[in-house]
Amino acid sequence: MHVMTTKPRHERMKMLACACGALLACGLAPAIAQEPRPDAAEPEHVEVELISEHTAVVPGQSLQFGLLLRHEPHWHTYWINPGDSGLPTTLRWTLPAGFKAEEIAWPLPKRFDVGGLYNFGYDGEVVLPVALSVPADAAPGSSAHVEVEAKWLVCREACIPGKASFAMDLPVVADPPKPDSRWTMQFARARARLAQPQATAWKGETRVDGDRIIVTLRGPSLPETEGLDAFVEQRKLVDNKPPTIRRDGDALTVGFAKSEYFAAEPETFDLILTRPAASGVRGWRVQVPFAATAAAP
Amino acid sequence: MTIRVALLAAALTLAAPALAKPVIGQPAPDFSVIDASGKTQSLAAYKGKTVVLEWNNPECPFVRKHYGAKNMQAQQSEAAAQGVVWLTINSGAEGKQGHLDAAGAKAYVAEVQGKQAAYLLDTDGRVGHAYEAKTTPHMFVIDKDGVLRYMGGIDSIPSADVDDIPKATQYVRQALADLAAGKPVSVPTSEPYGCSVKYGS
Repeated sequence: MHVMTTKPRHERMKMLACACGALLACGLAPAIAQEPRPDAAEPEHVEVELISEHTAVVPGQSLQFGLLLRHEPHWHTYWINPGDSGLPTTLRWTLPAGFKAEEIAWPLPKRFDVGGLYNFGYDGEVVLPVALSVPADAAPGSSAHVEVEAKWLVCREACIPGKASFAMDLPVVADPPKPDSRWTMQFARARARLAQPQATAWKGETRVDGDRIIVTLRGPSLPETEGLDAFVEQRKLVDNKPPTIRRDGDALTVGFAKSEYFAAEPETFDLILTRPAASGVRGWRVQVPFAATAAAP
Repeated sequence: MTIRVALLAAALTLAAPALAKPVIGQPAPDFSVIDASGKTQSLAAYKGKTVVLEWNNPECPFVRKHYGAKNMQAQQSEAAAQGVVWLTINSGAEGKQGHLDAAGAKAYVAEVQGKQAAYLLDTDGRVGHAYEAKTTPHMFVIDKDGVLRYMGGIDSIPSADVDDIPKATQYVRQALADLAAGKPVSVPTSEPYGCSVKYGS
Protein backbone atom coordinates (compact mmCIF):
# COMPACT_ATOMS: atom_id res chain seq x y z
CA MET A 1 0.00 0.00 0.00
CA HIS A 2 1.29 3.42 -0.70
CA VAL A 3 0.00 6.94 -0.51
CA MET A 4 1.31 9.54 -2.87
CA THR A 5 0.06 13.06 -2.87
CA THR A 6 1.19 16.16 -4.54
CA LYS A 7 -0.76 19.21 -3.62
CA PRO A 8 -3.70 19.70 -5.93
CA ARG A 9 -3.28 22.11 -8.77
CA HIS A 10 -5.68 24.72 -7.50
CA GLU A 11 -3.69 25.02 -4.31
CA ARG A 12 -0.47 25.53 -6.20
CA MET A 13 -2.12 28.16 -8.29
CA LYS A 14 -3.35 29.86 -5.18
CA MET A 15 0.17 29.93 -3.78
CA LEU A 16 1.47 31.44 -6.97
CA ALA A 17 -1.32 33.97 -6.95
CA CYS A 18 -0.22 34.89 -3.43
CA ALA A 19 3.33 35.50 -4.60
CA CYS A 20 2.13 37.77 -7.37
CA GLY A 21 -0.43 39.37 -5.12
CA ALA A 22 2.23 40.30 -2.60
CA LEU A 23 4.24 42.01 -5.27
CA LEU A 24 1.23 43.86 -6.52
CA ALA A 25 0.19 44.93 -3.04
CA CYS A 26 3.72 46.00 -2.29
CA GLY A 27 3.67 48.80 -4.71
CA LEU A 28 2.74 48.35 -8.30
CA ALA A 29 1.29 51.62 -9.41
CA PRO A 30 -2.49 51.25 -9.68
CA ALA A 31 -2.37 53.22 -12.92
CA ILE A 32 -0.26 50.47 -14.38
CA ALA A 33 -2.07 47.61 -12.72
CA GLN A 34 -5.29 48.70 -14.37
CA GLU A 35 -3.80 48.64 -17.82
CA PRO A 36 -4.23 45.35 -19.62
CA ARG A 37 -1.08 43.33 -19.12
CA PRO A 38 -0.29 40.28 -21.19
CA ASP A 39 0.60 38.36 -18.01
CA ALA A 40 -2.53 39.13 -16.09
CA ALA A 41 -4.89 36.78 -17.88
CA GLU A 42 -2.58 33.82 -17.54
CA PRO A 43 -0.87 33.91 -14.20
CA GLU A 44 1.12 30.71 -14.42
CA HIS A 45 2.83 29.87 -17.76
CA VAL A 46 4.48 26.81 -16.27
CA GLU A 47 3.04 23.74 -14.59
CA VAL A 48 5.23 22.46 -11.83
CA GLU A 49 5.10 19.12 -10.06
CA LEU A 50 7.22 17.02 -7.70
CA ILE A 51 7.77 13.50 -9.04
CA SER A 52 9.47 10.38 -7.73
CA GLU A 53 10.99 7.68 -9.91
CA HIS A 54 9.83 4.96 -7.53
CA THR A 55 6.69 4.30 -5.55
CA ALA A 56 8.64 3.70 -2.33
CA VAL A 57 11.99 4.42 -0.67
CA VAL A 58 14.54 1.90 0.60
CA PRO A 59 16.82 2.23 3.66
CA GLY A 60 20.42 3.01 2.74
CA GLN A 61 19.62 3.80 -0.90
CA SER A 62 19.67 6.89 -3.03
CA LEU A 63 16.52 7.47 -5.05
CA GLN A 64 15.65 9.85 -7.84
CA PHE A 65 13.16 12.63 -7.39
CA GLY A 66 12.59 15.54 -9.69
CA LEU A 67 10.82 18.80 -10.23
CA LEU A 68 8.84 18.47 -13.43
CA LEU A 69 8.33 21.76 -15.26
CA ARG A 70 5.97 22.00 -18.23
CA HIS A 71 6.36 25.39 -19.86
CA GLU A 72 3.79 27.06 -22.02
CA PRO A 73 5.16 27.66 -25.53
CA HIS A 74 7.68 30.56 -25.61
CA TRP A 75 8.13 30.60 -21.83
CA HIS A 76 11.27 29.42 -20.08
CA THR A 77 12.84 28.94 -16.66
CA TYR A 78 16.54 29.00 -15.84
CA TRP A 79 19.72 26.94 -15.52
CA ILE A 80 22.12 27.23 -12.56
CA ASN A 81 23.77 30.08 -14.48
CA PRO A 82 20.81 32.01 -15.89
CA GLY A 83 22.86 34.23 -18.20
CA ASP A 84 22.29 37.96 -18.62
CA SER A 85 19.10 38.03 -16.56
CA GLY A 86 16.77 35.66 -14.76
CA LEU A 87 17.15 33.43 -11.72
CA PRO A 88 17.88 29.73 -11.32
CA THR A 89 15.09 27.58 -9.91
CA THR A 90 15.68 26.77 -6.25
CA LEU A 91 14.46 23.90 -4.07
CA ARG A 92 14.25 23.86 -0.28
CA TRP A 93 13.57 20.42 1.12
CA THR A 94 11.98 19.43 4.39
CA LEU A 95 12.79 15.78 4.99
CA PRO A 96 12.53 13.16 7.70
CA ALA A 97 15.55 12.85 10.02
CA GLY A 98 18.58 11.33 8.30
CA PHE A 99 17.26 11.86 4.76
CA LYS A 100 19.41 14.05 2.54
CA ALA A 101 18.70 15.75 -0.77
CA GLU A 102 21.58 16.38 -3.17
CA GLU A 103 21.83 19.49 -5.30
CA ILE A 104 19.87 19.60 -8.56
CA ALA A 105 21.66 17.62 -11.29
CA TRP A 106 21.15 20.39 -13.84
CA PRO A 107 20.03 19.14 -17.27
CA LEU A 108 21.81 20.51 -20.34
CA PRO A 109 20.78 24.12 -20.83
CA LYS A 110 19.36 25.76 -23.91
CA ARG A 111 20.39 29.22 -25.10
CA PHE A 112 17.67 31.87 -25.45
CA ASP A 113 18.33 35.07 -27.37
CA VAL A 114 16.27 37.79 -25.71
CA GLY A 115 16.78 40.83 -27.93
CA GLY A 116 20.57 40.49 -28.02
CA LEU A 117 20.84 39.44 -24.38
CA TYR A 118 21.32 35.75 -23.63
CA ASN A 119 19.64 33.49 -21.12
CA PHE A 120 20.27 29.84 -20.34
CA GLY A 121 17.51 27.51 -19.29
CA TYR A 122 14.64 25.31 -20.28
CA ASP A 123 11.46 25.39 -22.29
CA GLY A 124 8.96 22.66 -23.12
CA GLU A 125 9.07 19.84 -20.60
CA VAL A 126 12.05 19.33 -18.33
CA VAL A 127 12.83 17.48 -15.10
CA LEU A 128 15.29 18.93 -12.61
CA PRO A 129 16.52 15.67 -11.03
CA VAL A 130 17.51 15.45 -7.39
CA ALA A 131 18.95 12.36 -5.68
CA LEU A 132 17.54 11.76 -2.23
CA SER A 133 19.42 9.47 0.12
CA VAL A 134 17.55 7.45 2.68
CA PRO A 135 19.28 6.60 5.98
CA ALA A 136 20.12 2.96 6.65
CA ASP A 137 18.05 3.01 9.80
CA ALA A 138 14.80 4.09 8.13
CA ALA A 139 12.21 1.56 9.31
CA PRO A 140 10.47 -0.54 6.68
CA GLY A 141 6.75 -0.27 7.17
CA SER A 142 6.96 3.39 8.12
CA SER A 143 6.15 6.27 5.81
CA ALA A 144 8.48 9.04 4.65
CA HIS A 145 7.03 12.52 4.32
CA VAL A 146 8.96 14.50 1.72
CA GLU A 147 8.33 18.20 1.24
CA VAL A 148 9.90 20.75 -1.04
CA GLU A 149 9.43 24.43 -1.65
CA ALA A 150 10.27 25.35 -5.21
CA LYS A 151 10.88 28.89 -6.43
CA TRP A 152 11.30 29.77 -10.05
CA LEU A 153 11.21 32.66 -12.45
CA VAL A 154 9.33 32.03 -15.67
CA CYS A 155 9.89 34.45 -18.55
CA ARG A 156 8.86 35.03 -22.10
CA GLU A 157 9.93 38.61 -22.46
CA ALA A 158 8.05 39.46 -19.32
CA CYS A 159 8.99 37.55 -16.18
CA ILE A 160 6.86 36.15 -13.40
CA PRO A 161 8.28 34.75 -10.18
CA GLY A 162 6.50 31.68 -8.87
CA LYS A 163 6.71 29.44 -5.88
CA ALA A 164 4.89 26.39 -4.64
CA SER A 165 5.22 23.70 -1.99
CA PHE A 166 4.80 20.04 -2.77
CA ALA A 167 4.48 17.10 -0.44
CA MET A 168 4.68 13.38 -0.99
CA ASP A 169 4.31 10.42 1.38
CA LEU A 170 6.20 7.33 0.34
CA PRO A 171 6.31 3.98 2.12
CA VAL A 172 9.68 2.75 3.36
CA VAL A 173 10.19 -0.80 2.05
CA ALA A 174 12.96 -3.35 2.41
CA ASP A 175 12.60 -4.75 -1.14
CA PRO A 176 13.79 -3.04 -4.28
CA PRO A 177 11.20 -0.34 -4.97
CA LYS A 178 8.94 -0.43 -8.02
CA PRO A 179 9.27 2.30 -10.62
CA ASP A 180 6.33 4.65 -10.80
CA SER A 181 5.20 3.96 -14.36
CA ARG A 182 3.76 7.46 -14.72
CA TRP A 183 7.23 8.99 -14.73
CA THR A 184 9.47 6.35 -16.32
CA MET A 185 9.70 8.31 -19.56
CA GLN A 186 10.43 11.59 -17.76
CA PHE A 187 13.30 10.12 -15.75
CA ALA A 188 14.74 8.37 -18.82
CA ARG A 189 14.69 11.67 -20.69
CA ALA A 190 16.18 13.46 -17.69
CA ARG A 191 19.12 11.02 -17.67
CA ALA A 192 19.64 11.51 -21.39
CA ARG A 193 19.75 15.24 -20.85
CA LEU A 194 22.61 15.19 -18.36
CA ALA A 195 26.09 16.09 -19.54
CA GLN A 196 28.55 13.21 -19.86
CA PRO A 197 31.49 13.88 -17.58
CA GLN A 198 34.83 13.95 -19.41
CA ALA A 199 37.02 14.33 -16.37
CA THR A 200 39.80 12.02 -17.53
CA ALA A 201 39.29 11.54 -21.26
CA TRP A 202 39.87 15.13 -22.31
CA LYS A 203 42.71 17.39 -21.34
CA GLY A 204 41.90 21.04 -21.19
CA GLU A 205 43.63 24.32 -20.55
CA THR A 206 42.53 27.94 -20.33
CA ARG A 207 44.33 31.00 -21.51
CA VAL A 208 43.44 34.61 -20.87
CA ASP A 209 44.11 36.67 -23.98
CA GLY A 210 43.29 40.30 -23.25
CA ASP A 211 39.58 40.35 -22.66
CA ARG A 212 39.09 36.85 -24.08
CA ILE A 213 39.20 33.55 -22.25
CA ILE A 214 40.16 30.67 -24.49
CA VAL A 215 39.67 27.05 -23.55
CA THR A 216 41.55 24.39 -25.50
CA LEU A 217 40.41 20.77 -25.29
CA ARG A 218 42.28 17.71 -26.51
CA GLY A 219 41.25 14.10 -26.38
CA PRO A 220 39.38 11.28 -28.07
CA SER A 221 35.96 11.79 -29.66
CA LEU A 222 35.79 15.55 -29.44
CA PRO A 223 32.44 16.63 -30.87
CA GLU A 224 31.94 18.15 -34.30
CA THR A 225 31.77 21.92 -34.22
CA GLU A 226 28.57 22.15 -36.23
CA GLY A 227 25.73 23.20 -33.94
CA LEU A 228 28.04 23.03 -30.94
CA ASP A 229 27.43 25.50 -28.13
CA ALA A 230 29.28 26.02 -24.87
CA PHE A 231 28.24 27.24 -21.44
CA VAL A 232 30.12 27.91 -18.23
CA GLU A 233 28.46 26.86 -14.99
CA GLN A 234 30.01 29.57 -12.89
CA ARG A 235 28.69 33.08 -13.19
CA LYS A 236 30.83 36.20 -13.58
CA LEU A 237 33.57 34.52 -15.60
CA VAL A 238 32.56 34.92 -19.23
CA ASP A 239 29.98 37.07 -20.92
CA ASN A 240 26.91 35.31 -22.22
CA LYS A 241 27.19 35.75 -25.97
CA PRO A 242 27.68 32.60 -28.04
CA PRO A 243 31.36 31.64 -27.91
CA THR A 244 33.65 31.17 -30.89
CA ILE A 245 34.19 27.45 -31.33
CA ARG A 246 36.67 26.00 -33.78
CA ARG A 247 38.62 22.90 -34.54
CA ASP A 248 42.34 23.53 -34.48
CA GLY A 249 44.14 20.37 -35.59
CA ASP A 250 43.45 17.77 -32.93
CA ALA A 251 42.20 20.42 -30.52
CA LEU A 252 38.89 22.10 -29.98
CA THR A 253 39.07 25.74 -28.93
CA VAL A 254 36.24 27.62 -27.30
CA GLY A 255 36.70 31.38 -27.04
CA PHE A 256 34.59 33.50 -24.71
CA ALA A 257 34.64 37.20 -24.02
CA LYS A 258 35.63 37.78 -20.41
CA SER A 259 32.76 38.91 -18.20
CA GLU A 260 32.84 42.57 -17.27
CA TYR A 261 32.05 41.28 -13.74
CA PHE A 262 35.07 38.96 -13.67
CA ALA A 263 36.43 39.54 -10.18
CA ALA A 264 38.41 36.50 -9.09
CA GLU A 265 40.15 33.71 -10.97
CA PRO A 266 38.43 30.41 -10.29
CA GLU A 267 40.35 27.20 -9.68
CA THR A 268 38.49 25.46 -12.45
CA PHE A 269 36.32 26.38 -15.32
CA ASP A 270 33.24 24.14 -15.51
CA LEU A 271 32.48 23.92 -19.19
CA ILE A 272 29.39 22.35 -20.71
CA LEU A 273 29.29 21.59 -24.43
CA THR A 274 25.96 20.87 -26.12
CA ARG A 275 25.09 19.70 -29.58
CA PRO A 276 21.73 18.90 -31.17
CA ALA A 277 21.15 15.15 -31.43
CA ALA A 278 18.41 12.82 -32.59
CA SER A 279 17.36 12.46 -28.94
CA GLY A 280 17.12 16.24 -28.58
CA VAL A 281 20.46 17.33 -27.24
CA ARG A 282 23.74 15.72 -26.30
CA GLY A 283 26.26 17.23 -23.94
CA TRP A 284 29.64 16.93 -22.26
CA ARG A 285 30.96 18.38 -19.07
CA VAL A 286 34.61 19.10 -18.53
CA GLN A 287 36.42 20.77 -15.65
CA VAL A 288 39.37 22.70 -16.97
CA PRO A 289 42.03 24.05 -14.62
CA PHE A 290 42.07 27.82 -14.77
CA ALA A 291 45.78 28.40 -15.28
CA ALA A 292 45.20 32.08 -15.93
CA THR A 293 47.68 34.63 -17.14
CA ALA A 294 50.85 32.96 -15.89
CA ALA A 295 50.74 30.62 -18.89
CA ALA A 296 51.64 33.40 -21.32
CA PRO A 297 55.27 33.11 -22.49
CA MET B 1 43.74 65.29 -48.27
CA THR B 2 40.65 67.01 -46.97
CA ILE B 3 38.59 64.06 -48.09
CA ARG B 4 40.90 61.64 -46.30
CA VAL B 5 40.59 63.61 -43.10
CA ALA B 6 36.83 63.69 -43.43
CA LEU B 7 36.72 59.93 -44.01
CA LEU B 8 38.95 59.33 -41.04
CA ALA B 9 36.70 61.50 -38.90
CA ALA B 10 33.69 59.56 -40.08
CA ALA B 11 35.40 56.29 -39.27
CA LEU B 12 36.19 57.52 -35.78
CA THR B 13 32.62 58.62 -35.21
CA LEU B 14 31.39 55.20 -36.25
CA ALA B 15 33.88 53.49 -33.98
CA ALA B 16 33.01 55.62 -30.96
CA PRO B 17 29.94 53.75 -29.68
CA ALA B 18 31.85 50.46 -29.66
CA LEU B 19 34.61 52.05 -27.60
CA ALA B 20 32.18 53.54 -25.10
CA LYS B 21 32.13 50.61 -22.77
CA PRO B 22 31.60 50.87 -19.06
CA VAL B 23 34.84 50.13 -17.22
CA ILE B 24 35.37 50.73 -13.51
CA GLY B 25 37.94 53.48 -12.97
CA GLN B 26 37.44 54.85 -16.49
CA PRO B 27 35.30 57.78 -17.61
CA ALA B 28 31.66 56.68 -17.83
CA PRO B 29 30.10 56.92 -21.31
CA ASP B 30 28.45 60.29 -21.85
CA PHE B 31 24.90 60.46 -23.12
CA SER B 32 22.25 62.91 -24.15
CA VAL B 33 18.63 61.88 -23.87
CA ILE B 34 15.32 63.52 -22.99
CA ASP B 35 13.58 63.00 -19.69
CA ALA B 36 9.87 62.74 -18.85
CA SER B 37 9.55 66.53 -18.69
CA GLY B 38 11.10 66.97 -22.13
CA LYS B 39 14.42 68.25 -20.82
CA THR B 40 17.65 66.99 -22.34
CA GLN B 41 19.77 65.18 -19.79
CA SER B 42 23.47 64.54 -20.25
CA LEU B 43 26.10 63.09 -17.97
CA ALA B 44 28.50 65.93 -18.80
CA ALA B 45 26.06 68.45 -17.32
CA TYR B 46 26.56 66.85 -13.88
CA LYS B 47 30.32 67.16 -13.74
CA GLY B 48 31.18 67.94 -10.11
CA LYS B 49 28.34 65.80 -8.81
CA THR B 50 28.07 62.12 -8.07
CA VAL B 51 25.53 60.45 -10.36
CA VAL B 52 23.57 57.22 -9.96
CA LEU B 53 22.01 55.53 -13.00
CA GLU B 54 19.18 53.08 -12.41
CA TRP B 55 17.69 50.98 -15.23
CA ASN B 56 13.95 50.63 -14.80
CA ASN B 57 10.98 48.72 -16.17
CA PRO B 58 7.89 49.39 -14.03
CA GLU B 59 6.40 45.99 -14.83
CA CYS B 60 9.44 43.89 -14.03
CA PRO B 61 8.94 41.89 -10.80
CA PHE B 62 12.48 42.71 -9.62
CA VAL B 63 11.83 46.42 -10.04
CA ARG B 64 8.53 46.01 -8.25
CA LYS B 65 10.34 44.18 -5.46
CA HIS B 66 12.53 47.20 -4.75
CA TYR B 67 9.90 49.88 -5.37
CA GLY B 68 7.20 47.91 -3.57
CA ALA B 69 9.33 47.72 -0.44
CA LYS B 70 10.31 51.40 -0.90
CA ASN B 71 13.95 50.34 -0.98
CA MET B 72 14.62 52.20 -4.22
CA GLN B 73 12.78 55.37 -3.15
CA ALA B 74 14.57 55.41 0.23
CA GLN B 75 17.94 55.25 -1.50
CA GLN B 76 16.87 57.93 -3.97
CA SER B 77 15.95 60.24 -1.05
CA GLU B 78 19.24 59.55 0.74
CA ALA B 79 21.15 60.24 -2.45
CA ALA B 80 19.29 63.51 -3.04
CA ALA B 81 20.03 64.60 0.54
CA GLN B 82 23.75 64.05 -0.14
CA GLY B 83 23.62 66.09 -3.34
CA VAL B 84 23.85 62.98 -5.51
CA VAL B 85 21.98 63.09 -8.83
CA TRP B 86 19.85 59.95 -9.34
CA LEU B 87 18.74 59.30 -12.90
CA THR B 88 16.28 56.51 -13.65
CA ILE B 89 16.47 55.24 -17.21
CA ASN B 90 13.91 53.28 -19.20
CA SER B 91 15.43 51.62 -22.29
CA GLY B 92 12.29 49.68 -23.12
CA ALA B 93 11.48 49.96 -26.82
CA GLU B 94 8.04 51.02 -27.96
CA GLY B 95 5.65 48.08 -27.84
CA LYS B 96 7.77 46.20 -25.32
CA GLN B 97 6.80 45.45 -21.75
CA GLY B 98 7.45 48.39 -19.43
CA HIS B 99 8.02 50.97 -22.17
CA LEU B 100 6.83 54.38 -21.04
CA ASP B 101 6.18 57.62 -22.86
CA ALA B 102 6.59 60.97 -21.10
CA ALA B 103 3.08 60.99 -19.62
CA GLY B 104 3.36 57.38 -18.53
CA ALA B 105 6.71 58.03 -16.90
CA LYS B 106 5.34 61.01 -14.96
CA ALA B 107 2.38 58.96 -13.79
CA TYR B 108 4.66 56.12 -12.74
CA VAL B 109 7.02 58.34 -10.76
CA ALA B 110 4.05 60.01 -9.04
CA GLU B 111 2.48 56.66 -8.27
CA VAL B 112 5.55 55.04 -6.72
CA GLN B 113 6.55 58.37 -5.14
CA GLY B 114 9.91 58.15 -6.83
CA LYS B 115 12.57 60.53 -5.54
CA GLN B 116 14.86 60.37 -8.56
CA ALA B 117 16.15 63.64 -10.05
CA ALA B 118 14.82 62.66 -13.48
CA TYR B 119 13.28 59.76 -15.42
CA LEU B 120 15.05 59.35 -18.77
CA LEU B 121 13.30 58.00 -21.87
CA ASP B 122 15.89 55.97 -23.75
CA THR B 123 13.39 54.43 -26.14
CA ASP B 124 15.99 53.72 -28.83
CA GLY B 125 18.21 52.01 -26.23
CA ARG B 126 21.27 54.09 -27.04
CA VAL B 127 22.15 54.87 -23.43
CA GLY B 128 21.37 51.29 -22.40
CA HIS B 129 23.69 49.89 -25.04
CA ALA B 130 26.46 52.38 -24.19
CA TYR B 131 26.36 51.12 -20.59
CA GLU B 132 25.64 47.53 -21.63
CA ALA B 133 22.68 47.64 -19.28
CA LYS B 134 21.33 44.11 -19.11
CA THR B 135 18.77 43.94 -16.38
CA THR B 136 16.16 45.93 -14.54
CA PRO B 137 17.33 47.06 -12.16
CA HIS B 138 20.95 47.56 -13.24
CA MET B 139 22.86 50.21 -11.32
CA PHE B 140 25.85 52.47 -12.02
CA VAL B 141 27.58 55.00 -9.77
CA ILE B 142 29.70 57.74 -11.35
CA ASP B 143 31.89 60.04 -9.27
CA LYS B 144 32.25 63.84 -9.42
CA ASP B 145 34.93 63.55 -12.12
CA GLY B 146 32.72 61.43 -14.35
CA VAL B 147 34.58 58.21 -13.52
CA LEU B 148 32.61 54.98 -13.20
CA ARG B 149 32.92 53.65 -9.63
CA TYR B 150 30.23 50.97 -9.35
CA MET B 151 28.25 48.82 -11.73
CA GLY B 152 25.98 45.89 -11.02
CA GLY B 153 23.03 44.88 -8.92
CA ILE B 154 21.15 47.05 -6.49
CA ASP B 155 22.04 44.56 -3.75
CA SER B 156 23.72 41.28 -2.94
CA ILE B 157 20.81 38.79 -2.99
CA PRO B 158 19.53 37.97 -6.47
CA SER B 159 15.88 37.12 -5.86
CA ALA B 160 12.39 38.41 -6.48
CA ASP B 161 11.54 38.15 -2.76
CA VAL B 162 10.90 41.34 -0.84
CA ASP B 163 11.95 39.48 2.34
CA ASP B 164 15.53 39.32 1.10
CA ILE B 165 16.02 43.11 1.01
CA PRO B 166 16.84 43.57 4.73
CA LYS B 167 19.31 40.68 4.58
CA ALA B 168 21.15 41.99 1.52
CA THR B 169 24.08 44.40 1.26
CA GLN B 170 22.81 47.45 -0.63
CA TYR B 171 25.71 47.99 -3.00
CA VAL B 172 24.71 51.44 -4.30
CA ARG B 173 24.19 52.81 -0.79
CA GLN B 174 27.55 51.34 0.19
CA ALA B 175 29.30 52.80 -2.86
CA LEU B 176 27.86 56.27 -2.17
CA ALA B 177 28.97 56.07 1.47
CA ASP B 178 32.47 55.02 0.41
CA LEU B 179 32.71 57.87 -2.10
CA ALA B 180 31.38 60.41 0.41
CA ALA B 181 34.08 59.25 2.85
CA GLY B 182 36.74 59.66 0.17
CA LYS B 183 37.42 55.91 0.19
CA PRO B 184 37.67 53.48 -2.70
CA VAL B 185 34.38 51.71 -3.36
CA SER B 186 34.60 48.43 -1.44
CA VAL B 187 32.51 46.41 -3.89
CA PRO B 188 32.94 48.07 -7.32
CA THR B 189 31.13 45.42 -9.37
CA SER B 190 28.52 42.78 -8.82
CA GLU B 191 26.51 40.78 -11.27
CA PRO B 192 23.22 42.57 -11.93
CA TYR B 193 20.06 40.54 -11.54
CA GLY B 194 16.53 41.04 -12.78
CA CYS B 195 14.50 41.05 -15.97
CA SER B 196 16.27 41.60 -19.26
CA VAL B 197 16.20 45.15 -20.60
CA LYS B 198 13.54 45.10 -23.35
CA TYR B 199 15.53 46.64 -26.18
CA GLY B 200 14.06 47.05 -29.63
CA SER B 201 15.52 44.93 -32.39
